[in-house]
Amino acid sequence: MKTITVGVLGAGRIGRLHTDNLLRMPGVRVKSIADPYADFGPWPPKHIETGLEPSLVLDDPEIEAVLICSPTPTHADFTEAAATAGKHVFCEKPIDLDPERIRRTLEIVDAAGVKLQVGFNRRFDPTFSRVRQAVIDGDVGEIHIVKITSRDPEAPPVEYVQSSGGIFLDMTIHDFDMVRYLTASEVEEVHAMGAVLIDPAIGEAGDVDTAMTTLKMANGALAVIENSRQAVYGYDQRVEVFGSNGSAEAGNETANRVILSGADGVRADTPLYFFLERYQASFVAELEAFFACIRDDLEPPVGGRDGLMSVLVGLAAAQSMAENRPVKVEAS
Amino acid sequence: MNQTTVGVIGAGRIGKMHTENLVHHIPEAVVKAVASPHLDEGWAEGLGIPIRSTDNSAVFGDPGIEAVVITAPSGLHSELICQAAAVGKHIFCEKPVGFEDGPIEDAIAAAQAAGVQLQVGFNRRSDPSLLDLIEAVRAGHIGDVHTVRVTNRDPKAPPVDFVKRSGGLFFDFVIHDFDTVRFLSGSEIVEVYAVGGVLIDPEIGAAGDIDTAVVTLKLESGALAVIDNSRQAVYGYDQRFEVFGSGGSVAVNNTTPSTRIVSTTGGVVGSKPHDGFVTRYREAFVGELKSFLAAVRGDAPVVAGAGDALAAVRAAVAARESFNQNRPIQLADAVPVAGGGTEA
Repeated sequence: MKTITVGVLGAGRIGRLHTDNLLRMPGVRVKSIADPYADFGPWPPKHIETGLEPSLVLDDPEIEAVLICSPTPTHADFTEAAATAGKHVFCEKPIDLDPERIRRTLEIVDAAGVKLQVGFNRRFDPTFSRVRQAVIDGDVGEIHIVKITSRDPEAPPVEYVQSSGGIFLDMTIHDFDMVRYLTASEVEEVHAMGAVLIDPAIGEAGDVDTAMTTLKMANGALAVIENSRQAVYGYDQRVEVFGSNGSAEAGNETANRVILSGADGVRADTPLYFFLERYQASFVAELEAFFACIRDDLEPPVGGRDGLMSVLVGLAAAQSMAENRPVKVEAS
Repeated sequence: MNQTTVGVIGAGRIGKMHTENLVHHIPEAVVKAVASPHLDEGWAEGLGIPIRSTDNSAVFGDPGIEAVVITAPSGLHSELICQAAAVGKHIFCEKPVGFEDGPIEDAIAAAQAAGVQLQVGFNRRSDPSLLDLIEAVRAGHIGDVHTVRVTNRDPKAPPVDFVKRSGGLFFDFVIHDFDTVRFLSGSEIVEVYAVGGVLIDPEIGAAGDIDTAVVTLKLESGALAVIDNSRQAVYGYDQRFEVFGSGGSVAVNNTTPSTRIVSTTGGVVGSKPHDGFVTRYREAFVGELKSFLAAVRGDAPVVAGAGDALAAVRAAVAARESFNQNRPIQLADAVPVAGGGTEA
């Protein structure tokens, strides 16, 4: 297998996670990591170059692919710069919060003829992939209803909420992509209702912490997404696709399968705590898919258009809640 | 035991079920008469019911009958309640009591004026699993309620003739879910947004109805709720409930007639859920009539009263308007504001 040389932009939580996964991945060599704010200590291993300037990665002709794991406002700039330098790009979601900017970035990527994959990792989760496979196999039949439950274990600090773009672009965006993935259909119309039930500070920051979002899909199916910023029992991630032949349902994953039965009841352990634990396998699988596309010259399974569509749906949801009416999703 | 003499109006599918429950499982009741325009005479005779008629006056005109069970088609409910109240009989009526405020309010007023009990057939309020769920909510195990979720899917789409006289999906089917959301949350519905489609049977669409729906609700407490409906889940009667809150969540899953699991190279196969409401809610159907008879004897309040009947119909009206106009509807805008809160 041909070894692909990779550079990483951003050494925060997700950048370090991806880098560690790459270090264990055959056929991939991480050459350098750049982050202006990183305090590189014992990490990463010494053979990886580190620096504060993105040029360390972007100007290195040996680097064929770039992972963009920096803060959201830098994603579009770095994607354009990497593509222009002829490098394939894996970019964390969202590419940007402005659809016009995303469109410009995608044009530049297209013109450069490089691969672009967006970090919708949940598509690569073995459990959700199996649900999608059940749809493809016809086990569900024609899709009638999709239900997604997505609840975080702990509300984020209000500083995070303020710069997050709001619940629909920060959190529900994954669920919008999941509905598109499971149905292979586009969202035509969105209605969102939200409430501040967990932390009044989130409300003061102009956001909500609890939401119900209804989607009408182009294929006629209906979808509903239930979000909460805080489920005290852990990361609650469930999907169900219901159709003419039946339903495919994915429940939560726990660290073990132990059931404790006692005088007080029957007890199991709580779901895996958060996304790093729950979606561990998907973070590896999405990068394996990205490098396979580079090697075999295939279209990435989650491309720029997917990145754009989920933002368009998220913006429509935010507008729907603000105006309390259903909103049509702008065509890509 | 102090027995109550009961007459049954309407002996279609659900009427027969209630009658059989009264005869076989509810010793507090004696079924004296059954009236139905297409009465299955052999069935009624087999149950040992002495008076069998195609004319409702056989029930309403019998002074020995203290309570009536109304299981006629939905469009007749409110008028039959008025007739029963006029002759001083306690009333158990299937849902929905009506399709709009006016006739329902007339029926409620008639029952109140006559001083008779009126209970509506929201059977889920008597389901052991849901009663257990609400106990966890009321005990504070899940803290403040944030969201309520109801999945309600029938095993098989009904004949289109039934659909035509059902009042539509929101009145015939989702009405149970509106009541369940009120019951589980302990809060009133203030806003409804409904989307729907004809995805199962085009005939249902041709009859002016839908067969699939997703309804989101805002509640007075600030909580949100979601209901998803289908007229046909091929794997059986899908009845699931979840209440989520600041302290956790409590859920009721499908029950199955058997707990069998077959594990082979082809997979692990468990039993399907029940095949319909008769078996899934067997205990609830008996329980709701026992509660009604207890109310008739003056031992307890009815478990689902006039206010509940009205509130659920108002939510159904709002859902229909929301679906038709494709916008969220405030309940206050959908219908004139009038009294009628939750019982108990």
